[in-house]
Amino acid sequence: MREVIRLEEVSLLRRTQEELSYDFKKTLLSLVSGKYRKPLKKLVLDHINLAVQEGEKLGIIGANGSGKSTLLKVICGILQPTAGFVRVRGEIAPLIELGAGFDGKLSVMDNIVLYGVMLGFSRQEMKERARLILEFAELEDYALVPVTGLSSGMVARLGFAIATDVQPNILILDEVFAVGDESFKQKCQQRMEKFWQAHATIVLVSHDLNFIQHSCSQAIYLEKGQLKMIGKVDEVVNLYLNGVMS
Amino acid sequence: MKVIKTNHKWSELQRYWELFYVLVERSLKVRYRGSLLGVYWSLLNPLLMTALYTAIFGATFKSYYNNSTRDYILAAFTGLVVSHFFSSSTNQALVSVVENGVLLNKIRLPMGIFPVSMIGANVFQFCLGMLPVLAIVTLVKSHSLVNVAALLIPLLSLTLTCTGIGFFVSALYVFFRDLPYFYELVTFVLWMSSPVFYPAEIVPPAVEKLLMFNPLVPIIESVRQISLSGALPDIILMGKAGISSSLILAFGWILFRKWQEQFMDLI
Repeated sequence: MREVIRLEEVSLLRRTQEELSYDFKKTLLSLVSGKYRKPLKKLVLDHINLAVQEGEKLGIIGANGSGKSTLLKVICGILQPTAGFVRVRGEIAPLIELGAGFDGKLSVMDNIVLYGVMLGFSRQEMKERARLILEFAELEDYALVPVTGLSSGMVARLGFAIATDVQPNILILDEVFAVGDESFKQKCQQRMEKFWQAHATIVLVSHDLNFIQHSCSQAIYLEKGQLKMIGKVDEVVNLYLNGVMS
Repeated sequence: MKVIKTNHKWSELQRYWELFYVLVERSLKVRYRGSLLGVYWSLLNPLLMTALYTAIFGATFKSYYNNSTRDYILAAFTGLVVSHFFSSSTNQALVSVVENGVLLNKIRLPMGIFPVSMIGANVFQFCLGMLPVLAIVTLVKSHSLVNVAALLIPLLSLTLTCTGIGFFVSALYVFFRDLPYFYELVTFVLWMSSPVFYPAEIVPPAVEKLLMFNPLVPIIESVRQISLSGALPDIILMGKAGISSSLILAFGWILFRKWQEQFMDLI
């Protein structure tokens, strides 16, 4: 088995939300009056060590604000660690809050190409794929309609269809598994099943512990940016639940 | 479902180009809603301003332009074309990184592509709208295709200058959200201090030295020399514009790169 994701002693410092200084005037005045403070930083990830093997399904659990989504962003390369290093082998497809990158004024077709290019495909490839994507999202009749003209359910379907049309080696999931009405949810689940069977590496964040236990083999438990436990999914979930109960 | 092949030959450069293309296309499509005729709206502002300045200052200043109102019109027009391009493209670049914050939080993207693509969209618009007008003026005044071709050099300098400033202000806007207010002041100072609607000769010598720090001055001078003087293109003027714009581009890019790692905490 090949190792596809490796994090070594990864720490991340971020500015805390209260400290966001968005004002030139204020900064300048506080500098003049000598009250300027360097923005405070908070340790969001604390010396994380992690190795994920090819084909492994890893669940990440922990309370809100424990750094789960941040960890996914570090793996995707969206955030650079302050210390330590991250190594990823293979194509990563992020599937985080679908449809967030759409431009409402552009047509569905243009958005498919735009989104695909952002995800690393060429325009040509996306134009070829567009038909299948529209078909899956059941939006064939809406190809030239601006995205603002779609219902929120349709937008979610489109986002899911684009992001899952490819079969990446590594899939990153943040609480999105199925969208739309019941019949579309069935389709989503079938597609996700395929990913699971296709030996793709999957890293997912969820608060649905049953889902994690059912679909992952390994799990990690994060608490306040620290890795509390890594191991078999049942043991990790038990530890997490015991921690919450007491 | 298809399987992505990890294709490392597909170089970073190609990915940049694809991104640049779709982002430019996006901003043009959103702006014009399918009708490229909309590009000609961008001519309205400089033409109207030229008419206004000529009506007010033409009679007074024409003695500096061989006593010809037509020469004043052309001088005002060429100056306006340059300064208008500068202010609209850099103002659009300014918000570009923050505006795409949602995307940057979802997908790993080279952030510099956002200000660059805003400048790119403006260049495209310029090529359809203003460039033909400028080329015709040049051809009529100089009777020389060399001058028409040489026009591209100061215009390239203008693009580089705007890209450099675009990098700088888009990065700064991540940290200071009240920047548009200050940037409006800066563009106004640049606009007043470039001899667009007044002749450079009326500026007192002591002040004139300060005007040389305005990055638009060498570009406007070079454009006017090439398109209006009737003489062959002046290499020295073109060189000045080229050097100052390259320095500005380098300055903007270096600061953008330096500050870039802090962006994600703030957007």
